[in-house]
Amino acid sequence: MKHPLPPRLLPMLGLLLAGFAQADNPDRPAGGSIAYVLTNMSWAMQSTPGAAECPKGLNEGTREQFKQLFPDNGTKRSFESTQLRREIDGFHPTTAAEPFVYREGEGPVAPGLDLDGITGPEDFRSPDGHEGIENQMHRVLGCTANYRAPDGPIRFFEDEMVLRENYNRVVVQLRGVDSLKDDDAVDVRIFRGRDKVLVDAGGLKAVPGGTQRVDLRRGANYIRETRGRISGGVLRTEPVDLLYPWDVFYFPSDQYMYKARLELKLEPTAATGLIGGYADIETWYLHTIRNWGTHYQSYGNSSAPSIYKAMRRLADAEPDPQTGRNRAISGALATVFTQVNIIEPDPAEYAEALTRRRFAAPYRGMPAERDPAEEQFDPQPSTPAVAASGAPR
Amino acid sequence: MMRDSLAGLALLFACAGAAAAGSGKEAWIPEPMPTGFRVELTVIDGPVFADTKGHTLYRWPFKVMRNGITGDPRGESNCGSEPARLSGGLMSPYPPGLLMPELDTRPACTDVWPPALAADAAKDVGRWSIITRKDGRRQWAIDGAALYTSVLDQRPGDLIASDAGNHRGDLPAMRDPVGPVTDLPPGFAVISTHRGRVLRNERGFSVYARDAGRHGAASCDAACTRIWQPVPAPASARARGDWKVLVRDSGELQWSFRGQPLYLYLPDPRPRAQDGTDEPGWHLVYVQQAPPVPAEFTVQPTTGGLVVADANGRTIYTYACGDDAPDQLGCDHPTQTQVYRLALCGAGSAERCLKNFPYVPADRGARASGLWSVVSINPLTGRFAAAGDPGAQKVWAYRDRPVYTYAGDERPGDINADNYGELRAQRQGYNAIWLRNDFTREEG
Repeated sequence: MKHPLPPRLLPMLGLLLAGFAQADNPDRPAGGSIAYVLTNMSWAMQSTPGAAECPKGLNEGTREQFKQLFPDNGTKRSFESTQLRREIDGFHPTTAAEPFVYREGEGPVAPGLDLDGITGPEDFRSPDGHEGIENQMHRVLGCTANYRAPDGPIRFFEDEMVLRENYNRVVVQLRGVDSLKDDDAVDVRIFRGRDKVLVDAGGLKAVPGGTQRVDLRRGANYIRETRGRISGGVLRTEPVDLLYPWDVFYFPSDQYMYKARLELKLEPTAATGLIGGYADIETWYLHTIRNWGTHYQSYGNSSAPSIYKAMRRLADAEPDPQTGRNRAISGALATVFTQVNIIEPDPAEYAEALTRRRFAAPYRGMPAERDPAEEQFDPQPSTPAVAASGAPR
Repeated sequence: MMRDSLAGLALLFACAGAAAAGSGKEAWIPEPMPTGFRVELTVIDGPVFADTKGHTLYRWPFKVMRNGITGDPRGESNCGSEPARLSGGLMSPYPPGLLMPELDTRPACTDVWPPALAADAAKDVGRWSIITRKDGRRQWAIDGAALYTSVLDQRPGDLIASDAGNHRGDLPAMRDPVGPVTDLPPGFAVISTHRGRVLRNERGFSVYARDAGRHGAASCDAACTRIWQPVPAPASARARGDWKVLVRDSGELQWSFRGQPLYLYLPDPRPRAQDGTDEPGWHLVYVQQAPPVPAEFTVQPTTGGLVVADANGRTIYTYACGDDAPDQLGCDHPTQTQVYRLALCGAGSAERCLKNFPYVPADRGARASGLWSVVSINPLTGRFAAAGDPGAQKVWAYRDRPVYTYAGDERPGDINADNYGELRAQRQGYNAIWLRNDFTREEG
């Protein structure tokens, strides 16, 4: 009889089955350990086809704002007071008011986690009916086409690059697992892997059974260890401040989430679910302004300076001890992980990497900030924003 | 284990011997040139053609940009003698027709890129031909591309006006230096990096040599070749200049360069990777190495690889800029407008720029090395300081442009300002100097 699987896939299948073929407990992974590599990730938002969560419509982007601020009415427009001025607004954002309507994502439904155990007036109800969901990021990005599911351009690219770029190789490893269904205490290690993800012949779909080495050399800063509990096949971890890589088009950049917790539905071949917590605003914005300049913002009608204002306005965590301003915003990452085998690092090398790990604060923004009063919104400033002169060489 | 083979192999090269073979410098294939022109060897960008004063020759390749096309079509020059007054709108998503900054002092294209003019009696030679400019003057061209020099280049071999190793997609329509073909066997390429001209195979994979095999027979045995693949030479290959063909015990032919048998590192995960240098005793192969980074600087590990940093470990950044006029002039050199840089680093405030992106001060005893130099800057204007300027500061420069640290980097290894700027700093912005990048981007 002809076997239904190609012969070269049999070893892989055998490896997978071996991981779970234990007579005493079929839900216990081999050696009490299982790992998953991140293969899809995007900010969790409610994005219904009819955009019911955006009753006021979707936001306008950089191109539309430019036309509104600097209409082509026959008067000469200078580069400095228009184009360069808008770039300044992007690279030196402030909380000053702007003459645009910002349309926030609305409730009552949005995905996410109950991060504080309280159901407050700003909280959402999750799509599966849980109350008390904190997801202010949905308010900020939920009505901006670039970030909406399923195919907002920035959302699409950032998701694609999670799989494509090795810089983004986040791995979650569970150890001390008695059962993938129920276990009161498991050890959770989060780190960066070093290797490509195993994909199918099309190249775009991750498949289980690959291997990953632990990136101890460049990735020590990403190593985190926490504890978790598995209940009903769902892993829930204790909060941990998480630095995670998320580069775009091969330009290294990271994100930072305070009190991040994982809530993942575990299967032998995959884990899906959310990483919820409080995203550091300045780190998020630095990632955005470095990777998604005005050109890319125009793809899907987003405007970085407008998003910054909304993000600061809706921030709900990590108050600055000196100013009292919240530095972080609640949100969640919708994730898909794929099972992967780990080549365990040498214990001594792992221990050495931990000595190089840095837990210092996330990015704090441009040191010399622009005062909000500098950001004026008269449509046609008469004086150039910048003047420079100099001596000849 | 291996022996040199000098006979019985067919001719591989069609042309004469390499111009600088045996010198430790990059060799090139000579070709006919008009009288007065010559070849200069640059510090890290290979051989270039130069005019009678040794000034590098450039072309302006036609480039399809986000919102249009600019550059020189074949046989024509679009570099005009009148200053461009309006933006070209080539930098998406902004519209064209905006009045360019500092119009009263804006140079014309030909002020910055003087055409390489041909004498009345000059005639075509080899790849070199003569085109007629719109003003009727005759201009040299190579392969139909009009040739220019740059006012920024001062000395023979200078390549101040262009970063030949930087060809990312959203860069301005840059001028490229032109030069003779590097003398390499088929199957090899040479790439400009911050550490020099590095050898690669035709697929972009790094080529390595073993320290122990440097001066004689290779010692990579069967076990060694499980991860180190000898770079094969075809049966038609023969020795030439720095290149020789070795016959391994197995009978396979293997290229060697300057006495070093050449290998590929099989675990290298992608083109441009240099993981093989992590193996003790193995190194990349350079046809010409760059002078060392001055001792005042350090090399720091980051989450992506290795970057140049100051003595305190703060990452060093260069600033690059091209404007959005149709002639795509530079805006990153101290002799050029500072409007763009001041906008990006300080929202138009020079004082704020100095806090965010301070210059890197040079000590009294600081010495130039390769493309690194010490320049005198007026920090409030960003221009070269005039003689006697009381506010002048001596600062470090790379390619004649000041370098910076970023105050938002708190610790060694932080790279928060890398690709910080418009279109990932390709149009204008800051970039770290990568000596090694383990995640696909060119290593510098």
